[in-house]
Amino acid sequence: MRKKIGNFLRKRLLLVLIIGFAIGLLFTIYTNKALEYTSTNESCAMCHVHPHVFDSWKLSDHYDTESGVRIGCVECHLPPKGEGYLPEKIEAAARDIYGLVFKDSADYNWEQKSTLEYAKKHVFKASCVGCHENLFPLTLTKEGQDAHLYYTQNEEELRCINCHLHVGHYDPNALHAVNVEFGSTGGAPEDVFTEPAEVITHEDYTETVPNTTISFNMKAIPGGTFAIGSPEDEQFRDPDEGPQKQVQVSPFFMAEIEVTWDEFLAFYSATAAEGRSTDTEGSRTEDGVDAISGPTPPYGQPDQNWGLGDRPAITMSYHAAETYCKWLSQVTGKTYRLPTEAEWEFAARGGTQTPYFFEGRPKDFTEKGFLGSLFGGTSDVIDNYVVYQANSEAKTQEPDVVEPNPYGLKNMLGNALEYCSDWYAEDAYEQLSDGATNPKGPATGEEHVVRGGSFKSPAGEVRSAERDYTRTEEWLKTDPQMPKSMWWLSDANNISFRVVCEFDEKTGKK
Amino acid sequence: MSENNFSRRKFLAGAAAVGAAGAMGVGTLSSCSTGGSSSGAAGNYDYEKRELNHPPLRDTAPDGQELKAGIIGCGGRGSGAAMNFIDAGPNLTVVALGDVFQDRVDDLQHKLNEQKGVEVADENCFVGFDAYQKVIDAGVDVIILATPPKFRPEQFEAAVKARKHVFMEKPVASDPVGIRQVIAASKMADSLGLKVVTGTQRRHQHKYINLLNEVNNNAIGEIVSADVYWNGGQLWYRTNQPDWSEMEWMIRDWVNWCWLSGDHIVEQHVHNIDVAYWYMGKHPIKALGFGSRQRRVTGDQYDNFAVDLVLDDGRKVLSTCRQINGCTNGVYELFHGTKAMATSSQGGTARIFDAQGNDISTFEDHETSPYVQEHIDLVTCIRENIPINEAETTAISTMVAIMGRVSAYTGKEVTFEEMMNSDLKLGPDTYIMGDIGYIENAEVPVPGTKDR
Repeated sequence: MRKKIGNFLRKRLLLVLIIGFAIGLLFTIYTNKALEYTSTNESCAMCHVHPHVFDSWKLSDHYDTESGVRIGCVECHLPPKGEGYLPEKIEAAARDIYGLVFKDSADYNWEQKSTLEYAKKHVFKASCVGCHENLFPLTLTKEGQDAHLYYTQNEEELRCINCHLHVGHYDPNALHAVNVEFGSTGGAPEDVFTEPAEVITHEDYTETVPNTTISFNMKAIPGGTFAIGSPEDEQFRDPDEGPQKQVQVSPFFMAEIEVTWDEFLAFYSATAAEGRSTDTEGSRTEDGVDAISGPTPPYGQPDQNWGLGDRPAITMSYHAAETYCKWLSQVTGKTYRLPTEAEWEFAARGGTQTPYFFEGRPKDFTEKGFLGSLFGGTSDVIDNYVVYQANSEAKTQEPDVVEPNPYGLKNMLGNALEYCSDWYAEDAYEQLSDGATNPKGPATGEEHVVRGGSFKSPAGEVRSAERDYTRTEEWLKTDPQMPKSMWWLSDANNISFRVVCEFDEKTGKK
Repeated sequence: MSENNFSRRKFLAGAAAVGAAGAMGVGTLSSCSTGGSSSGAAGNYDYEKRELNHPPLRDTAPDGQELKAGIIGCGGRGSGAAMNFIDAGPNLTVVALGDVFQDRVDDLQHKLNEQKGVEVADENCFVGFDAYQKVIDAGVDVIILATPPKFRPEQFEAAVKARKHVFMEKPVASDPVGIRQVIAASKMADSLGLKVVTGTQRRHQHKYINLLNEVNNNAIGEIVSADVYWNGGQLWYRTNQPDWSEMEWMIRDWVNWCWLSGDHIVEQHVHNIDVAYWYMGKHPIKALGFGSRQRRVTGDQYDNFAVDLVLDDGRKVLSTCRQINGCTNGVYELFHGTKAMATSSQGGTARIFDAQGNDISTFEDHETSPYVQEHIDLVTCIRENIPINEAETTAISTMVAIMGRVSAYTGKEVTFEEMMNSDLKLGPDTYIMGDIGYIENAEVPVPGTKDR
């Protein structure tokens, strides 16, 4: 019997081959059809029920193109065929089906998923350059030439969407140009303060900035001695937080909240420089002008379109923060400056030596996810005091959403990172002598200390002892201007600062 | 950034693949030779041979459809380039002229007729700051740019956007803003398949190419450092004339004005800096320079520079240049290798010699002048569609020279990156043939500060 079949097959070899070929061909065609079918915009729309995605796509440059070619979902959101197309498609499909079945689209933070950080995960550079082969078309503008030239020199670190984030989904608030109008309210303010606050004792006061409508609260921070850094057994501790040293800090005043947009914009409008200052020949040697020359107009939207008002001012450079303090000192006749790292931590601790100034261990707040919900981890306490990754909705929040620490200060641990005046060194506390008074950190360095977590930080990174530092180059990576701004950071949307005022003869010290 | 820019790298990869396929086609699959060196002790240490991409170097350009050139900048070099272009081969002519001065245009129109029998119609002769655009639009195939370098970036971009092949003189700009404009336009030229040659004629000189081939065959070992010199006498200058406006004087006296020429380290010495970049395969990323003005008569430039240039691997190039009469002179390059030394100069014999000073090999000039050779190469590449675009390479060499100048002017160390991101733009914002109040504010730079 078997032999018979064998003979038959041998005689009909050609037939067998043809049938096999036909089956293979059909399989290929149908698989391909299935792939194509599941890659149409309509099929994407079946799962992607968030309403804005198709509207914003239809308003975008990739929908209504000059050449009339319409760019569909998968052309950006999947890598090109042969460059990981299938694996990514399978992964994306699995993710989307899971989301569709087990989650409610209203629970997603779509705004967050539209940010650059998230977009990097679902927009593929290979897809961008797959179509945009020529980065220097004849129609490219002067600014485009400079920007693309910069890209060709930094191809490894840059993504197309660093600059072209909204080409696939229109955002009416996005601005990709010098923002000359930024912060202008139009019209002159009505009730301006004429005198700065008079301070005669070391007590809380409200500063009133002359010729502006700006006032803000300053808290009197008592002097004292505390252990800077964290013990080795603290959860999530980093090596740069030790060894702990006893440090003495003299009394000073500290702002209740991080510098707000209203405050910062008062400075900006009083000092803004129209021209740009450069570091090249000619102007290199110029220095020391009496009047304080403030920021040039920003590029794009420094506030990320989250709103101004009482939200912390963000994305200013260290230089801008320092210049703000100089200006504030000049107009109020007091000595405002950035806090030292020791002052900052002393104030943040508010007399405590625990990981946070409130009760709880870092791990109580980090196991909130799947396991946390099973085993009853709670975030109630931390939610009262800190704007951080789990509750921030991926942006800064206004200061009234949190309670103050024991010294009356808000948002020391979260919301936005804060500049300190010290140079950063990993072994800064190693260098510190025990019992030091008002230490100012290493004599030189390359990056400055930043303290306090931000809306992006997990619970482990909003501890009182957590240290971090500026990243000068990284934070300016995508500024398309030449030279890059010395006032505004293009790639750091979680940095702010808080002022301290010295308790000296100008503020009542005898 | 390496000398091989993005598009050229792509082209080379393509060429290598074609070459490999060809080799397989003739059945040399069993031969695993990777093309050993023709001289030198290959393999006694890790010597890495570079892939070089020389121009075609024919004795004359091949015949083909007539190529009509337009000359922008009809002074000495523009006139020379026009003649060199016509001499490069058959069916080459000049049909349009542009300059800011009528006498320059008239002179070249006359010379072309007298020496080459080429008649340029009066309606194709243009005068003024916008003459360049009229030349570009006059039905030409090739644009020759030979104005002072300050004007080059704008004119080069306009020529590329009009889809013209370009011969342009070095240096290609006098400031970083101009350099970036040239590099961007160069990338556009690449995508359009345009051919660009840039007046760094040593790259078209047989002697230099033969010497480099030997160096690349490990004849002197690894290049450890280089010295490059253009130390010569005073160049030339024009004193002011009563009927000249301020702008006319500056442009007629352009090699003495930094905004127009880039200073002599850029305008003249860029040749030698370019040879170092070419031979070493990468450009310096840092400069610390000295310089001063001792005997220059007009303008606002220095007349001597000495610059320490550093590559990203720590190797150094010493660059010195001077334009003062009565000093010891020399215009040449010297490469120090781990095994021997190599020296080259535009005139005379190029040599490889050992530590005792004995010649190992020598290289003589070819009968074709390098100034004609560069045009032969341009025309050959146009007619045979061989990729050639030197604009970005020369822009980088020019930028290295600018980096040296800025360092000498300021006394500070200057990086290439700083230059690539600098908004330094020299000269007036608009060009008017009149008194523009530039000279009264012009200053010769003084490095450093008076105070401590």
